This record gives sequence, C-alpha cells and structure tokens, in this order.
Amino acid sequence: MAKAPENLTEAELEERTNAHPMAVPFLFLGRESTIKNFIWFPFAGMVICMALGLIYPPHHKAPWDFFGSWAVIGFAAYSFLVLSAGPLFKLLARDEDYYGEGGLPDPDYSTEGDHHD
Amino acid sequence: MDVLSLFPAWLLEHGAAFAIVLPLLMGAITAILPSRTLAWWTAFIVTLVVTVTSFGLVLNMLSEGATIYSMGGWDPPHGISLVVDALSAPVLLLISAMAVLTVVYGMPATVAEVEPKKRAPFYAAFLICFAGLMGMVVTGDAFNVFVFLEVSSISTYALVAMGSARDRRALTASYNYLIMGSIGATFFVIGLGFLYMETGTLNMADMARILADLDGGSRVAKVAFGFIIVGLGLKLAMFPLHTWLPGAYAYAPSMMTIFLASTATKAALYLLLRFSFTIFDPSFDYVGVLMKYLLVGVGIVGMIFASLQAIFQTDVRRTLAFSSVAQVGYMLLGVGLATAAGLAAGYLHLLNHAIIKGGLFLALGAFWYRFGITRIDDFEGLSKTMPLTMAAFTVSALSLIGVPFTAGFVSKVNLATAAADKGWWWAVGVIVVTSVLAIIYMGRILLLAYFGDAPEIDGEKAKRNEAPLMMLVPMWVLAIMSIAIGSNIFNLGDNFVGAAEAAARLLLGGGA
Amino acid sequence: MIDILQINPGLWIILAGIICAFMPVGHVRKTLVLLAPLFAGVMIFQIYGAQEVIGGVINYAGIEFTTLRIDRLSMIWGYLFCLAGVLNAIYALHEKCRITDSSALIYTGAAIAGVFAGDLLTLFIFWELTALSSVFLVWKGGERSYAAGLRYLAVHVFSGVLLLAGAIVYGRANGGDFTFGHIGLDSPGGLMLLLAMGIKCGFPLFHNWIQDAYPKASITGTVILSVFTTKLALYAIARGFAGEDILIYIGAVMAVFPVFFAVIENDLRRVLAYSLNNQLGFMVCAIGIGTPLAMNGVAGQVITHVIFKGLLFMTMGAVMFRTGTAKASELGGLFRSMPFTTVFCLIGAGSIAAFPLLAAFVTKSMILSAALEEHLYIPLAMLLFASAGVMEHSGIKVPYFTFFSHDSGRRVKEAPWNMLTAMGLASLLCIVFAFPFGGYQLLYSLLPYEVNYHPYTPDHVIFQLQLLFAAITAFCVLKKYGLYPSEKRAEVIDFDWTYRKLGLGIARWIGAMWTRLSVNMTGVRKTCVDGMGKKLYQIFSPAGAMSAAAPSGLAAVLTAGMLVIALLIMFIT
Repeated sequence: MAKAPENLTEAELEERTNAHPMAVPFLFLGRESTIKNFIWFPFAGMVICMALGLIYPPHHKAPWDFFGSWAVIGFAAYSFLVLSAGPLFKLLARDEDYYGEGGLPDPDYSTEGDHHD
Repeated sequence: MDVLSLFPAWLLEHGAAFAIVLPLLMGAITAILPSRTLAWWTAFIVTLVVTVTSFGLVLNMLSEGATIYSMGGWDPPHGISLVVDALSAPVLLLISAMAVLTVVYGMPATVAEVEPKKRAPFYAAFLICFAGLMGMVVTGDAFNVFVFLEVSSISTYALVAMGSARDRRALTASYNYLIMGSIGATFFVIGLGFLYMETGTLNMADMARILADLDGGSRVAKVAFGFIIVGLGLKLAMFPLHTWLPGAYAYAPSMMTIFLASTATKAALYLLLRFSFTIFDPSFDYVGVLMKYLLVGVGIVGMIFASLQAIFQTDVRRTLAFSSVAQVGYMLLGVGLATAAGLAAGYLHLLNHAIIKGGLFLALGAFWYRFGITRIDDFEGLSKTMPLTMAAFTVSALSLIGVPFTAGFVSKVNLATAAADKGWWWAVGVIVVTSVLAIIYMGRILLLAYFGDAPEIDGEKAKRNEAPLMMLVPMWVLAIMSIAIGSNIFNLGDNFVGAAEAAARLLLGGGA
Repeated sequence: MIDILQINPGLWIILAGIICAFMPVGHVRKTLVLLAPLFAGVMIFQIYGAQEVIGGVINYAGIEFTTLRIDRLSMIWGYLFCLAGVLNAIYALHEKCRITDSSALIYTGAAIAGVFAGDLLTLFIFWELTALSSVFLVWKGGERSYAAGLRYLAVHVFSGVLLLAGAIVYGRANGGDFTFGHIGLDSPGGLMLLLAMGIKCGFPLFHNWIQDAYPKASITGTVILSVFTTKLALYAIARGFAGEDILIYIGAVMAVFPVFFAVIENDLRRVLAYSLNNQLGFMVCAIGIGTPLAMNGVAGQVITHVIFKGLLFMTMGAVMFRTGTAKASELGGLFRSMPFTTVFCLIGAGSIAAFPLLAAFVTKSMILSAALEEHLYIPLAMLLFASAGVMEHSGIKVPYFTFFSHDSGRRVKEAPWNMLTAMGLASLLCIVFAFPFGGYQLLYSLLPYEVNYHPYTPDHVIFQLQLLFAAITAFCVLKKYGLYPSEKRAEVIDFDWTYRKLGLGIARWIGAMWTRLSVNMTGVRKTCVDGMGKKLYQIFSPAGAMSAAAPSGLAAVLTAGMLVIALLIMFIT
C-alpha cells in the first residue's frame, strides 16, 4: 500500500525519513482516510459474527441471550463506560499536583534525566 | 563422652579448686611482672586453662552429676565445700570463656586505654576479679561467697578507676561503684549474719536443711532474706539500685566493661537464684511473696524505665548500660515466675545476654579504638568505615532486640511462653513493648550506621579502617554464637536450653 | 547433611539476591539475575514429580515450620514466578543498578518461597519479605515515589501483621496446627487471614496501594512489581478460601470498579495498574465459585495474566524509557518510531481483551463458563461488563493513545534489544498458550484439575468476537462523533483520598488546633505540658536525674528504702 516515493508530499516524505524503517510500510495507518474508514472493519466483523451466531447457537444460554446479544452487550457496555467518563472526570479529577508529591513521571515536570532518547 | 576422657583425672577431681586458686595465685605474680606482654600472656594462659577446666567440669557434671569438693579435705559443714552442679557449671564456663575472649580483645585495647606502667597491675587485678567471680559461683559456703564477692568487687573498683587515663569521669564512677558496692556487700553480709544466727551454720546445704526443718524459720530468717535480696539486687543492678552501673560501664576501660557486663551482674544473679531457691525455698511464704511482688515488680518497672532511658541517651555505652538494666528485668521476671519454664527462661537469658552484651561492648570498644567513637551521632556511616565490626555489632544488636534466629529471640520467646503459661498476659505485653523500645534504641544506631554517609575528615571521606584481628575474632565468636544459639547450629541452641532447663529443675528441687 | 532437595527453591534466588547486594561487578549480577530463577525452576522440576512433596521441616521454638510444600497448585505459581523472573531479568538487562538487581531477586525469591510455604508462619515470613524487598523498587522511581513507597510499605507491613495475628488465632483454635490448607471463614482467625490476603490482593477499598505505588516505581521496577505481590496473595486466597461465596461478589465488584477509573486516568501505567486490579477481580471471583472448572480457570488465568500483564507493563516501560513519560496526553503516533513495541503491545492488548488465538481467550472463558454453569447470573453480568471494560482500557486505550491517536511529534528510537527480546518472548507465550493445536493443551497440562473444556468451539469464538467487534465499533462511533473524551492531565482521586487528603487534613487540623489551643492557654500549658515534658527530660535524659551518676547518698537511701519495702512485703502478707 506504500506509495512510490515520487508521489509523496513534502510532509509525507519527512514523516517517512524520520520513521523507523520497519514502520515505513505501515505509515498509512496514520493517514486521515484510514482513520476515517477504519470503522468498517469492526463493523463488518460484528455483523458477520452476528450472522454466524444464528448458525452456531450457544451451548450454555444465559437468560439474556438472544440474537446478537453479545454484540449488544459489548456495544452498550462500552458506550456506557465511555460516556460515564465525562461526569466521572468532573467529579474525581484534580490538579496534577493535588497531593503535593510531584505526581507521576513526566518530562515536562521531571528534573531527573530518566529518559533515554 | 570421649572428650571427657581427654581430661586428666586430677584436673576433674580438683578442678573446682584449681579454677579459683590458679587465677588468684597468678594474679599476685602478674602484679609484679615487669613486662606488659608477659602479663598479657599470663592472663591469657590462665584464663584459657581455667576455661578448659570449666569445660571439663561441665562435661563431668553432665556425665557424673553434681560434685561436691571439700577444700583441704575438711568435710562440710566444718570445711569449705565447692559445688559444681547444673546451676553453677554453665555459669563457670560462661565466666571463664568470656574472660578468655576479653583478654584476647584486651591486647590491643589496653594499649590504647591504660597507662603503660599500670598495665601489668591491670591484668593482675583482672585475674583476681576473675578468681573472685569464679569463687562466688562455685563455692558452697555462704560466708565464702561474701569473701569472693568482695575479692571481685574490690578489684573491679580498681579496674574501673583505671579508665581514668581515657576519661576522668571514671574516677567518680568508680567511687560511686565503690560506695554502692560496699553498701550492697554490707547488706549481704548482714543478711548472712542473721542467717547464721538462725541456722548456726555457714554451709549452704546445711542452711537449706535447717531452714526446711524450721519450716522457713523465724523473723530472723525473714530479715536475713530481705537483706540478702537487697544486697544482691544492688550487685546485679536491679532497678532502682542500678545507679552505679551506667557510669561504671561507660567509663571503665572497654575490656573491663565487656567483662563486667557479661559476667559480674550474671554472677550476682546466679547468687540470687542460689539463695532464693536452694537455701531459702519459694514454698516459704515470705520468699514466694517477695519474689512475686518485689522481684517481678522491680523487674517489670526496670524493663520499661531502663528501656526508656536507653532511648534518651546520647552515648552508646550508656544506651547499652541501660539496656543491661532492662535485660536484668527480664531475668528477674523469669525468676519471679518461679515455674520451671520461667526459671529456665530467666537462666537462659542470663547466658544469652552475657553473649549478646559482650558482643555489643566488644564492637563498641573497637569503634572507640579506631575512631574514638562513643556518641550515637558519631555512628554515622560506620558501616562503610568498619563494615566487619559493624556487622558483628548488628548481629548482636538484632539478637538483643530478639529477631528470630538469634539467641535473644529464643530466650524472649521462652520467657513470654512461660509468662503466658502462668496466665500473666500483661507480662507478655510488657516483653513485647520493651522489645519495641529495644528496636527503637538499637535501631536508631543501626540506621545511622547504615544509612548515614561516612564523615569527612579534612575534606576527605573517612577511609575504611577495620578493627584489628584480635578484636574482630572475639566479637565474631560471640556474634556467631548468638546466631548459632538462635538457629540451633551445632545443636548449640538445644544445649543452652537443655542447660537452662536442668538448672531450673535443680532450683525447683527436682535434682540435677 | 542437608538435602538440597529439601530446600525451598525460592531461597536460592534470595541467596543470589544477597550476593548481588554485595557484588560490584555488573555482569556477574546480571548473570545471577538471569540464572537464579532458571536454577530455581530446575530445582522445582527436580523436587516435584507428580505427588505432593513436603519437606524442609524445621522445629524451632516448639513450632513446626514446613518450609517446602509443592503440590499441583503451588507448582503452577512456582514455575510461573520463575518464568516471570527470567523475563524480568532480560527486560532489565540494560539497567546497571545494584539495588534493583538484588531487591528484584530477593523479591522474586521471597514470592516463590512464600508460594511453597507449607504453614502460615513460614508464609508470614516471606509475606513480609516480599514487601520489604520490593519497596526499594518503588523508591528507585525517584524522589516523587518516596511517600508512595512509605505508604506501600505501611500497607504491606500491616497486612503481614494481620496475617501473623490471624495465623496465631487460627493456629491456636486448631490446637497449634499452623498448616496452610483450606482455612474457611467460619473462625475469627480465618477472617483476619482473608483480610490480610485481601489487602495484599487489592480487594476493593484496599486496592489503592497498587495504583499509588506501581506507576511511581522505576521502569523495570513496575514490571517486576506487577508480577509477584498480588499473585502471591491470590495464591494464598486460592489455597485458603476456595469456594467461599463472599469472594464471588468481592471479585465481581473488584472486576468492575477499576474499569471506571481506568477510563479517566491519564497515566497509562496507572491505567494498567487499575487493569491489574480488574483482572485480579476475575480470578478472585472464580476462586469464590470454587468448582474444578473455575479453579482451572484461575490457575490458567494467573499464568496468562502474569505474561500479558507483564508484557503490557513492559511496552509502557519501553515507551517511558524512550520518551520519559507514560501519560496518554503526552503520547501518540509512536508506531512510526517503535513498530516492534507497537506489535507487542497490540498482542498484549489482544491477549488481555481475550481475542481468540491470544492468551486470555482460553482461560477467561473458563471463568465465565464456570459462572454460567453455576447459574451465577449477576456476577456473570458484572464480569461481562468488566470484559467490555478490559477491552476499553487495556485493549484500546493503552495501545491507541500511545502508538496511534494524534501524532505527538515525538520521534524516538526503538526500545533497546533486551527489552524487545523480553517483550518478544512474552508475546510468543501469549500466542502459544492460546494456540488451538497443542498450545492451550500445554497450558492444560499444568492445571490442577482434569480439564475437558474446549475453548475453540465455533459458538464460543463467534460470541466472543461479537463482543469485541461491537466494542471496537462503539469506540469508532464514539470517536467519530466526538463523544470519546480526550485525555487530560489530572490526578484522579480514588479511595486513597480518605487517608492521603482527608486523614492528613484531619491530622493537620488537629495539629493546627493544638497549636492554637496551646497558644491561647500558654499559662496552663506552661505548667502542665512543659512541666511534664521537663520532668520527663529531667528524669530520662542524660542530664536528668535518673541518668546522672546518682549521688551515693541518694542511692544509699534508695537501697534502704528497698529493704524496707522488702521487709514490709514479707511481714504484712
């Protein structure tokens, strides 16, 4: 999927020269279009699995099992979790130096030279 | 018992007398020896020979049972008898072995601490003190006890005073000790006088028999017991009669401190056991009551107060001295329990504590020898400058605290179990609390030594400067003993516990 | 002579650790760190055949210590800890630090020795040793970790004390038998023991030390820490409290609540610490169910969990090693610079989220099936929700924010070779232990009970994939509509607020009030407090009355006083 070098824009060329050689063929993962269209991959997987679920019904049925129940559970639980993050964050988040102990390692705060680039 | 067969028969037969007479005689000779080295060798050889003799006596006691030796062939009650039994034999061995170790250590230490022309008399006084302690333990004659007590005490006053070359305060400490010691001895001898009045004999076995016949005797016997207990209590640094001890320990020459700390109070405690269990009997009302209320009372109070005082000290020698007073409290608690387990625990702690404190003071002496250190603040970074000495100190300190697999743990656990068996849970609590206090007062020294940086001398980090071999060997012998007893290596733990139990059986009249 | 097969294999590693503490040569240390766990593993193999082995019985102070007991359950933990020890050693090869090396070894050894402890008192010794040795790993995280290390130490020492107290109460009730077998909750000793183990295992409300200390430890320290402490506790619970109903609910709650914190937490190592908590919840729940299938699930899950959780911590460590931070808000787009680490992280994420063909797929579904078979629908529903949560925080959040997301512009070097090797090996194991043809059967051969559970049935694969794909779809949808919260720097408060803020605040308030009070009551204070203090000082300090070389006169009076007391006692009673 990697484009030939002559078709690259300046920015892409720079990204390529800075990247790890093994990462070059995968740089498309960072492209806008990939991110935009990525959703179809799990969506298709989900639909296919729901369809297959009709052919292979579960051995042990939980009381809530119905067509595509696991997908629904997954989707609902996940969404609930992520959507709860907003209010929770408002409730629980404090300034990073809340406890006055210097917080977690961070190059911007850190005075120790403990990273090695 | 083929080790026993290596000892010549005459040594075993006359060993008890030999162990007193030899150091006494050689002490007199040493005093006029011209050379310091010669004096040291004399002291070393004498203590070594006596140790071997004591070892033989212990083995002989184990295989043959208790022996009674009549001085000059005069049979008791008219002559003086020497008794080697399960109670006295281990203490004899302890005293003589500690004497050897301190003499070995003393070679370099006295050079640094005692004026050159006083060194030969120093060793002479040491030998006489040693003879006195051995005599106190082995004799079966009550008045003889007093004589030997004075022999050892008077030489000790002189020895403590010799610390004045290092620190002038040794003189006041010695004076204090002299006054207090004399008071104690006087009390003791007054008690003996009353006892003689009551029983008409000075032989211990005779006294015990007559007292038992009289069913405890009259008021005179009671007064006698009171005087003897208080007199001995002073000698063994029973709280609050311990005031002579910190000064004497702190300012005596370090060799003497080691010897004093590990033997003198122990011999006095031995006498306390001897008197209150084999001459008097806890089944007499007044004996039982006095032990239960007075000995246990002062024991417990002493454990707590002396531990607290140890925490507040700035000088390590004094910290250890107060710790000794606290440890005496443990032993008194064991004695006051008056059960087989309690007595065994108290006796075991007597032996173990001698080994532990000996090790601690040995290491402390080495610190002084190299760096002139006695204050706690100066311990900073000592683990870097004297790692081996510090390691030995640490082992002994852990043992003092009572960390598992060390000698201190064994005796503390035995003591706690004995107290719990009797239902004295509060005593168990006190043991735990004082152990925590011990963690504090020893811990802060160890923390400084291990986590502090070595001090700077003239802008340079102090260099590693290990103690001389003659100091390292005895201190490591004691440290390893500590661990060996605690972890039962070479069966040492079992042997010590066995010895303590045998002594307890003897005290409670079950025979050796 | 001592039979070396009677020696607890963990002790060899502790010995190596002690040697390391005094070994100035780095290469020798690294060799020891690498070889000691291997040697211990070989020793386990030599000692353990098929039957339970009991050895190293020591009688000390009248108590029998069984220092070695290997059976089907402890064997699993033993091998696992050895394996983890080797992986950690490889991961830490680049680090030249004597403290880390020796404390890692002693810690590893103590955990192994603790697992092989046959009685509660031996367990207690190693229980405390794990805490004492590992706190240095926390403190290696630098100054900011100092307070957290102290809290960590305090919690664990407390847990140890509780364990000892529980053991004594329990042993006394059983007539002095301290054997560590099934304990049960029907005695007060049992409750104390469970509480002690629960603290170390991170039960809800006792969990804070994990999220407090782990993210603050050094890079290698976190990886090492993540393996042993909680798993040792888990072993103890599995051994002592299998089938206790209350554990089902504790476990379910423990699996669910960290999920919420993980979503809002910014520091990815802390996210993983919450995730660790959540995984432990699954296992605690399964221990509560206690059927053979559930216990197999626990044993299997603990094996895979150590590997993939270690792998995830390793990848985050590698990222931190290169960038200096593990905060989601500061990272992103790193797949361009660290492609191998990215792949390993994705394998770890897939494993923890239980994708088919990756580690947890087999074991986690055993746990879920066990719950289903026992008709425990409420816990099952909670665990399913927690599974979705796992997918969110470990499966998506960690790799996404680190390696993808918006490009942070950081261009760093790939992780050092030794880290890559360790991560590679862990990834390989993640795949092997779930491989349908001979892979998971290998895992089965280690489990404590006979297994006839088939993970790769079509329905199981399909429904698992439904769940996972749906979750990913939800992620994409939420992201697309801007509903997915962006990562913001913050300190997220948890239950530890009660003691780090509230408790501290109360203590400070009392202090301030005290000051105010004492200022206002100078007169009273002077006479009372100062007087008391002075008295104490006067009595106890070296300059004080009790310590000064007491005047001989006073001492003589004291002696006479003692005599009077002695005579009084004798004459009155």
